[in-house]
Amino acid sequence: MDPTIKDFEAALTELDTIVKKLEDGDIPLEQSLQLFERGVQLSRFCHARLEEAEKRIEILNERGQLQDASSLLNESANIQSSKGKS
Amino acid sequence: MTSFFDLPFEEPTAAEASVGEPADPVDSPTAVPPEPQPRRILTVSELTARIRTLLEEQFFEVWVEGELSNCKVWTSGHMYFTLKDRGAQIKGVMFGSALRLLKFKPQDGLRVVARGRVSVYGPKGEYQIACEHLEPEGLGARQLAFEQLKERLAAAGLFDPQRKRPLPALPRKIGIVTSLDGAAVRDIIKVLGRRYANAHVVIRPTRVQGDGAAMDIMRAVRAIGRVRDVDVVIIGRGGGSIEDLWAFNEEVVARAIAGCPVPTISAVGHETDVTIADFVADLRAPTPSAAAEMVVSRKDDFCARIDRLSQQLSNTMSARLHRLEARLRMLEARSGYAGAHGRIAMRSRHAAELSHELHQAVHAQLARRERAYHALRLKLETFDLRRRLGTIRTRLVTADGQLGAAFTRSHHRHDARLRTAVARLESLSPLAVLGRGYAVCWNAERTQVIREASTVNPGDRVRVTLNRGELDCDVRGGSASADTSPPPEPAPR
Repeated sequence: MDPTIKDFEAALTELDTIVKKLEDGDIPLEQSLQLFERGVQLSRFCHARLEEAEKRIEILNERGQLQDASSLLNESANIQSSKGKS
Repeated sequence: MTSFFDLPFEEPTAAEASVGEPADPVDSPTAVPPEPQPRRILTVSELTARIRTLLEEQFFEVWVEGELSNCKVWTSGHMYFTLKDRGAQIKGVMFGSALRLLKFKPQDGLRVVARGRVSVYGPKGEYQIACEHLEPEGLGARQLAFEQLKERLAAAGLFDPQRKRPLPALPRKIGIVTSLDGAAVRDIIKVLGRRYANAHVVIRPTRVQGDGAAMDIMRAVRAIGRVRDVDVVIIGRGGGSIEDLWAFNEEVVARAIAGCPVPTISAVGHETDVTIADFVADLRAPTPSAAAEMVVSRKDDFCARIDRLSQQLSNTMSARLHRLEARLRMLEARSGYAGAHGRIAMRSRHAAELSHELHQAVHAQLARRERAYHALRLKLETFDLRRRLGTIRTRLVTADGQLGAAFTRSHHRHDARLRTAVARLESLSPLAVLGRGYAVCWNAERTQVIREASTVNPGDRVRVTLNRGELDCDVRGGSASADTSPPPEPAPR
């Protein structure tokens, strides 16, 4: 991951600033091109972060262990579909 | 204080009244003192012992309502208080063991119902109620406990708005503290699954109602706050009665939520259910489903925002590039290289000239400033004199004005008098008669009024003054008689 980007929120804020600067329009061409490149990089990072989390359900038990519980999701889906049928 | 003791003696007094009928067997053996014996003298202790027997047997278990005052918990853990109403008061004590079982904190001014027995404390000659149970009158004990805890936690700053943390922009893992059996967990997973298939959820199951639920929830909140990457926690359960939701009104739960290292969302019951947990959490969701949507809708927002920003980014950049391209083409079309070179040389000469002009202008400006300064200084030096002159001038003008006004006033007076006089004069003038159609005839020189026709001859010239204007007339003839003349007018007044 890009070391110049701290986290999702920082990236979003920086992207915001860059767009504003570019829209204001009185910066030299060379600099605005650099900003543009940075902006593209940031938006790619944000998109990636949004899609990165995986679909998972875990249960934290009394002993502090994490157990997979994706069946819960299916169960709720079943409940939903059975409700839909009735 | 002595009136304090009036009440318990009422019954013995009544019993004494029945002493007059010794043959009558006693109905209530406990209420009657032993057989009266003349001049039987009791010690204070004996009397007190009898009173004790009397009161403690009679009031072994009573319910009494009144207002609490002078509540004080001693280091022994017992609470001493006074129960009173408008007409009387009674001292009371509640032992630590009973006090600990109360769901609310007794405090002064509270109206309560107390259950207990009356006991007598001989060494001080006092009686009191030893209270086994206390409950607030009217207001339910739970409600009161709720209010008191809320007040206490608010005072401790746990509800302060500045404590509220924002939810993470994009939660890595979403922690959930609830029961696996309830509807809440399924509602949350359903919403998360529908809107974001890639949500990562960690559930810490807990009991949410019944004995020990509060402690269980507390442990669960603590545990889930420590799981790596969990950066928001939903704590809740589905709807139920107030009793069912009560665990979320317990202090241990409130403290655990407040101590959670990541932002919390409370989602207890339905929209209308308000619990202490709601006040402590960083965000209150009306229902568990709503809590899930709060977490997820932010993700929606971010997606939209990033898309929008990316779009703006490329739009702005391409617009700028287009503008530059257009300008470049225009420049190329308009000017050749040599021409540009020549223009540059010309510009640079022009610049040198401008610079010279500027220099001169600055000098001129400086000179002007200097002159202005000198003038100003001169003015400043004569300033005092000028001011004095000014004062004098002002006074002069004022005096002049006053004089003028006086003159004008007197002039007006005279003028008025004159006009009155003229008016009167005019009313007396014979010439006023002319207005009625008379005329005055003069000789040509206008030196004499002609009164008789005989004084003029035909061919003479006369002047006739009318009301308006004069006539210049030639006399053609005349007669001396006055027959033809109109009857004489009555003389003007």
